Amino acid sequence: MMQSNPFNLRRAILWIGRLVLGGIFAYAGISKIFLPNTHLWPMFILRFSISTNLSTFAQQVESYKMLSPAAVDFVAHTLPFTELILGLLLLIGWQLRIWASLITLIMLGFLGVVSRAYLLHMNINCGCFATPEPLTGMTIARDGALTALAVLMTILAFVEARQPHPWSAPEKV
Amino acid sequence: MNRRRILAGIVSVVFLGLVALFLPSLHKTAEPAAPTMQPVAQPPTETAATRAESEPPSIPAPVVEAKVAALPPAPQSAALPDVDPHKAFGSRNAPVTMEVFSDYQCPACKTLFTTTNRRLMDDYVSNGRVYLIHRDFPLPMHAHSKVAARYARAAAQIGKVEAAEQALFQNQEKWEQNGDVDGTVAAVLSPAEMAKVRALVKGGTLDPMIDKDYALGQTYRVNQTPTTVFHCKGQTYPYSGVMTYDTLKTFLDQLLSQKSL
Repeated sequence: MMQSNPFNLRRAILWIGRLVLGGIFAYAGISKIFLPNTHLWPMFILRFSISTNLSTFAQQVESYKMLSPAAVDFVAHTLPFTELILGLLLLIGWQLRIWASLITLIMLGFLGVVSRAYLLHMNINCGCFATPEPLTGMTIARDGALTALAVLMTILAFVEARQPHPWSAPEKV
Repeated sequence: MNRRRILAGIVSVVFLGLVALFLPSLHKTAEPAAPTMQPVAQPPTETAATRAESEPPSIPAPVVEAKVAALPPAPQSAALPDVDPHKAFGSRNAPVTMEVFSDYQCPACKTLFTTTNRRLMDDYVSNGRVYLIHRDFPLPMHAHSKVAARYARAAAQIGKVEAAEQALFQNQEKWEQNGDVDGTVAAVLSPAEMAKVRALVKGGTLDPMIDKDYALGQTYRVNQTPTTVFHCKGQTYPYSGVMTYDTLKTFLDQLLSQKSL
C-alpha cells in the first residue's frame, strides 16, 4: 500500500504561494480602493473617497510615464479591483491553474515596470500599495521574490493537477 | 472538497472584510502632536520618506478618519485659526470651507492646482459657495519648497499670489533642478514688485506664518500633499491626494445640498 504524507513540499509551497500572493493581492486591491481616504458614510462621501483614492493611484500609474492618459485611467480604475478579485480567487483555490497563471503574468509585468523605472533612475512612488513608498532596490527584490513564488506556484499547480496528491484525488467508489 | 473550498472562500471573504474595516487603524501611529514630527510623503502624493534615505522608512499616519472624531473640533470658517487673508479666497461665510495643504515642489500639488483649483475658483469660490484657504506644508524632503513658500507668501502680501503660484507650479521641473525660485517669480512680476517680494523674503517675517500652517497640518494629521480639509455643517473631512474637478464638483454639490450630516 502506498504511503502518503499530507505535508509534502509541493503542497506546502502551493499553500504558501496561495496565502502569501492571495493575501498581498487582496490587500493591494483593498488598500488602493479604500486608502488613504476612508470616509464610509454617507454614500456620496464614500464614492468621493474611492474616486479620490483611485485618482491618486492614477497619478502613481502616470508617474511611470509608460501609458497614454486614457490607458492610465483605465489601469487605475480596473487594476485595484482585479487585484482584489484575483487575490480572493487565489485564497479560495478554485481553478488555481488559471488564476495562478494570470497572477504570474501580472507579477512579471509589475517586475518589468518597476525594474525599468529603477534602471531609469525615476524618483517615483512604487504605487504597489496605497501607502506612499519610494521605488528602491528593495522594491525590485521584493517583486522578484514574489514573482519567483508565483512562477513556482503556477508550475506546481499544473504538476498537482496532473499528479494529484493521494489525499486530494477524487474518491473512488 | 467543493464544500470545503466554498467554506474556505466564505471565511476568506469575511476575514478580508474585517481586515479592510480595520485597515486605517493598522496604519495608525501615535499622536502626531510632537511638533518635530516629520511628515511622510512623496510623489504622486508626496511624502517625506522618499528621499530621506538616511532615515528608516516610517509608517505614515492615516490622513483620514471616518468621522475625524479624534481631530480638533470641526471649526467653522470664522473660527479657523491663523488664516492669512492674502492666501484665502472667497467669502468667509461660504457654507463650505476648504483648506488645501500644499507644497510647491510636489508634482501632485501641481496637478491639483492646474487641473482642479482654477475651475474651482471660477465655479465655487467666486460665487461665495466655497471659502478656499491655501496652507503651506513644505515637506522637508524637498530642498526648495520652503523657499518657494516664502516667495509665494511674499507675493501674496503684495496681492500677486495667483501670478506667483502659477509661475511656481508651471515651472516646477525647472526650479526644482536649479533652485532658481527667485528667477521664476521674478519672471512674472515687475521689478518694483519683485523688490518688495525680496525685501519681505529677507525680512524673515514669513517663516512663522509658514510654520503655523505646517503645525496646523500636523494637528490634522496631514502626512501627504496635497491634503484638502473640507469643513461643512460642523463636520470636518480631510482628503489626501489628487481629486479631479468632476469628482470634486459632484462631491461639493452633494455636500452643499445636504441639510445635515
